[in-house]
Amino acid sequence: MAERVQFGHSRAADAVTTMPSLLGRSLILIAGLTLFHGAFSTYENLSQLKALGRLGTEHRMPWDTAIELLGALILFIIGATVNAPRLNEITWSSQMAKLSIDEMDSRMSFASVNHRGKRLFGNGSN
Amino acid sequence: MGMSVDSYANVLAEYRTRNIRASEDVLKKGIFILERNGLGKLGSEAWPFLEQLALAALDLGRLDIANECISRLDKQFVGSPRVECLQGIRLEFKGAYDDALAMYQAILEVDPQIPYAIWKRKISVLRQSGKIKHAVDELITYLDAFYTDPEAWLELADIYASMSLYLQSLSSLSHVLLLIPQNPFYVLQAAETAYTALDIPLALKFFLRSVEMVPEGGASTRGWYGVKLCARRLLSSLPTSLDAVATSSASETPLPSAHHLALLDQLATERLLAAYSTSSPSSAASKTASVSASLAGSVAADAREVLIRWLQGK
Repeated sequence: MAERVQFGHSRAADAVTTMPSLLGRSLILIAGLTLFHGAFSTYENLSQLKALGRLGTEHRMPWDTAIELLGALILFIIGATVNAPRLNEITWSSQMAKLSIDEMDSRMSFASVNHRGKRLFGNGSN
Repeated sequence: MGMSVDSYANVLAEYRTRNIRASEDVLKKGIFILERNGLGKLGSEAWPFLEQLALAALDLGRLDIANECISRLDKQFVGSPRVECLQGIRLEFKGAYDDALAMYQAILEVDPQIPYAIWKRKISVLRQSGKIKHAVDELITYLDAFYTDPEAWLELADIYASMSLYLQSLSSLSHVLLLIPQNPFYVLQAAETAYTALDIPLALKFFLRSVEMVPEGGASTRGWYGVKLCARRLLSSLPTSLDAVATSSASETPLPSAHHLALLDQLATERLLAAYSTSSPSSAASKTASVSASLAGSVAADAREVLIRWLQGK
């Protein structure tokens, strides 16, 4: 019997989304560390130039730090996407598949209570 | 889910919203909440909870608990029609149908605003005490007044079906489908009623509608069985012109072509085999396999053999 492929899920997607904690969280961690490192580099660069008195008005962030920070942002986006939990089913058919005939046909306003229930379950108090 | 007043209260609230009549579970959890004085925790939800518990207790013959719930509700809501309804149900429980009927009749005559819950109880008492014709007349009068009550139409369909009047049952279900077109369970019920009324083309149409709404899981297995049965029946009767009765339809539903019927037969077979294949996670077979895990593997294989043989028409 051939295995049925779930609609909308590939094997690769399953492999990635079934371990959200590991890959996603590590990516987010690396991105956070990279961000912190980039921020610290900026601060260090600024304080060094101030100490040397070479801080000009057209001072810009060094290009490697800028790339590092952009890289941190991209890593964080990827990590957050991978870390997201599996999407809930919102289709009508998936909701209806969970219900049963008993609850659709219960007709509680017309329900009779005078049946063998009191013989089977009663404790003789009636 | 742990055993706590809050979690049990959530479960019972869900039973209330979804109209699930799980009396044993309600009683067990309700007694748990009552014993731990959880009524205060429930706040304003305590009153619907007591009503639900009273009904569940009566369902299981526990008059003591039902009396306690009803007396608490009576103290809080003096002279409320809902409480009177519960008291009437208690009379029904004791088998005192005449007393209950007299009580309901008195309330209905006095109250200018007709309490429809009491009217429904009256119809239920008439049905329980065997006065079916009176019950049907009363129910039809009720439905003239309150058309948009799918529960009442379903009750009418059930009464007709119990009297083997399947075409009338089908017409009641058609009103249900007008009111609630998106529910596959009512479509399935209409399909099975049509099949029992021997209107096979109409039954096939309804079965296909129900499996269109829910392709797999839930009640779809039942729908696919219906498609299979209808297709097989129509295919076996098509070649002979003498069998015009079998393919005739009281509702004059047109018959699909033999080619389409063969395709539907094939599709239904494939869907049923898939539903019972043990490799898929949500299949019917895997559910039963987990329940009957102690059964030998050969028994399950034999059952599958029987199913396959039936599907292939041997």
